[in-house]
Amino acid sequence: MKKIGWRSRLAICCGKLTSTWIRRLHRGNGGTLPGYVARRIDPGILTVLSGMVGEGILVVMGTNGKTTTNRILCEALRAEGKKVLINETGANMLNGVISAFVLAVEKGGILKADYACIEVDENASVEILPKLGPDCVVLTNISRDQLDRFGEVDLTYETIKSAVQSVPGACLAVNGDDAFLGFLLAECENPRVVYGIEEEVFDVAARSEVLENAFCRFCGARLHYDLVHYGQLGLYRCPGCGFARPRPDYRAEDIAREEEGYSFTVEGRTVGIRTVSPYHVYNTLAAYGALRSVGISGERFAKALGSLDFGNNREGTFTIGRARVQLHLAKNPMGFQQKLSMIRSDSKPKDLLLFINDRAQDGRDISWLWDVDFQYLKEAGSVQIFTGGARRYDMGLRLKYEGIESQAVADIREALRRLTNKGTGNVYVVVNYSGLYPANHILEELMEEEKGGGHFEADHRSSVS
Amino acid sequence: MKLTIGHLYPDLLNLYGDQGNIKCLMRRLQWRGIEAEVKPFLSGESLDFADLDVVLLGGGSDREQELVCRQLGEIRRDFGSYVEDGGVVLAVCGGYQILGDYYRTAEKEIPGLGILPAYTKWEPRRLVGNIILDSPLSLAPVVGFENHGGRTYIGEGAPFGRVLFGYGNTRTSGYEGLRYKNVIGTYLHGPLLPKNPEICDYLLERALERKFGGVWKLRRLPDRLERQANACMVERYCDRGYVWRERVGRYLPF
Repeated sequence: MKKIGWRSRLAICCGKLTSTWIRRLHRGNGGTLPGYVARRIDPGILTVLSGMVGEGILVVMGTNGKTTTNRILCEALRAEGKKVLINETGANMLNGVISAFVLAVEKGGILKADYACIEVDENASVEILPKLGPDCVVLTNISRDQLDRFGEVDLTYETIKSAVQSVPGACLAVNGDDAFLGFLLAECENPRVVYGIEEEVFDVAARSEVLENAFCRFCGARLHYDLVHYGQLGLYRCPGCGFARPRPDYRAEDIAREEEGYSFTVEGRTVGIRTVSPYHVYNTLAAYGALRSVGISGERFAKALGSLDFGNNREGTFTIGRARVQLHLAKNPMGFQQKLSMIRSDSKPKDLLLFINDRAQDGRDISWLWDVDFQYLKEAGSVQIFTGGARRYDMGLRLKYEGIESQAVADIREALRRLTNKGTGNVYVVVNYSGLYPANHILEELMEEEKGGGHFEADHRSSVS
Repeated sequence: MKLTIGHLYPDLLNLYGDQGNIKCLMRRLQWRGIEAEVKPFLSGESLDFADLDVVLLGGGSDREQELVCRQLGEIRRDFGSYVEDGGVVLAVCGGYQILGDYYRTAEKEIPGLGILPAYTKWEPRRLVGNIILDSPLSLAPVVGFENHGGRTYIGEGAPFGRVLFGYGNTRTSGYEGLRYKNVIGTYLHGPLLPKNPEICDYLLERALERKFGGVWKLRRLPDRLERQANACMVERYCDRGYVWRERVGRYLPF
């Protein structure tokens, strides 16, 4: 074990103190500030701590599926008996990543971790990756997300490209079905493993969305698709210059929808996942490929997933009275389209609350709502649709253009109370990022309230914004 | 009675919900019993401006924009005479830049179509945020979202609106967009038309006048949600406290 310098020790100490105080003062869960403090004291802290990880560092990047893929990696490694360090949901910028490392340091300045599984925001990747020196970088997909932060999708692509080129030794575990990532592979020298799906698993509502990357980056010709999964994901080739989807090393085959979720086989191993969203097949496959690339045999992989909850606290189910409420996060067009497809596939009548905010972490620009094809919501059998959040009128206006009636509500607690008291008893709540925490909180309170006979008022907690 | 809306190169220029503008033009005609047809022209397809009453040119990434410029070179003369003849055009962001004389990036100069008396220079600081305009085309303030690295200089041309909040063409000029004949060039996404129905109706009225003659004033529609969505943004940026909080929030490190 390497000894670390006094400066790093001081940084770790102050970082930990910050975390303690944040928790004590009930100012959130302290996901990023400790990292900021530690970095101000020792700018090299991340390099020092990442050097102490025993066996390997895995990084997950991409527009959608980062958190889930990272959690699968973590679970699978733990099932192998490894000690794993993981960063908290959403804390994927530089400060968040540093926090995760700092808080994992034990007494005496020792970091006991065999593996680190770190999800990294695309924008922060150029800064973070060289400091981490990962063994494997998982790339899930690239689609439009928070254009006010990222500029345009091409800029996201360039950012990711320069990030992975800065760590030429890291093995890339790449979704070969994503044309963007196909280009990336062609432009990078890194070692690589490719995963992909060659069967049709996504329905028309999932597919329907603006095609992100219809043209070949190398010759400008329109890409030809033999099969489209969704967005720009599918089996593509360029008729102009011969560029084509790379052959996957790991292929999900015999994908089947089952009672409880999906099952598929990879390398002859059957894997079952307990989720109704088919895109989690991609996330699972991504994790499998990444683990294989760092020399894990994958024998315990299927077993490790058996108990995994794919919700990541982002998606939860609440029972309030006789109503079942499902909370879902959708923060970009691709994600939202997938949720609509899922809602449509539920044949029971349902009520809907769409909660749209435009805080900095959501993306200030909500134009993307118009890139989502809401016509499928008309066929979804929704009885009442409420819109909430700072941009509830924009959401309502978007629905108006599909001929869907909705009602804007200022107070979502009241709206949820109404929906759960009288309604279909099958409620879907779709929120974007900043709405997640308050929505979760309100639903938990309503659940308590209902249990306590409707008299329980949790005033002391309602100040959380 | 029917209007035809031409959506130029949606496969190349499809950033930021341009579909919303198309849907708005179409529905607001249909809600008044006027037929509307949308014709998307993918890159490489031939198009005849004689068939079109409204043309929408959206925004794209720089790479895609260059591909478009190459394509548009072929129809430049037709496009130019369509505009000179009073043809209605809404050009948003990238489309606005393309219609100007040129777009100078850090490395090179991309020639534009030279239809609008404007030119654009790229600067490293992107101008991003909600924007509110006072436009002579609309009684209600015009609200939208801007996100551009280019600074567009319009010289003596008539701007689309005066900036009440936000950056506009160059950040310092105090004006946004450009109106030339029946063309509106603007940086406003959001998308522009659904939340600013008066602008949509203005474009439609000019297109109807050009096609059917006479003076057109379209029947008013009960735009309740439209007004709420618009007013909600205006009120927000009238609140100094909010503006201050948003500004400060931008500079916090966490």
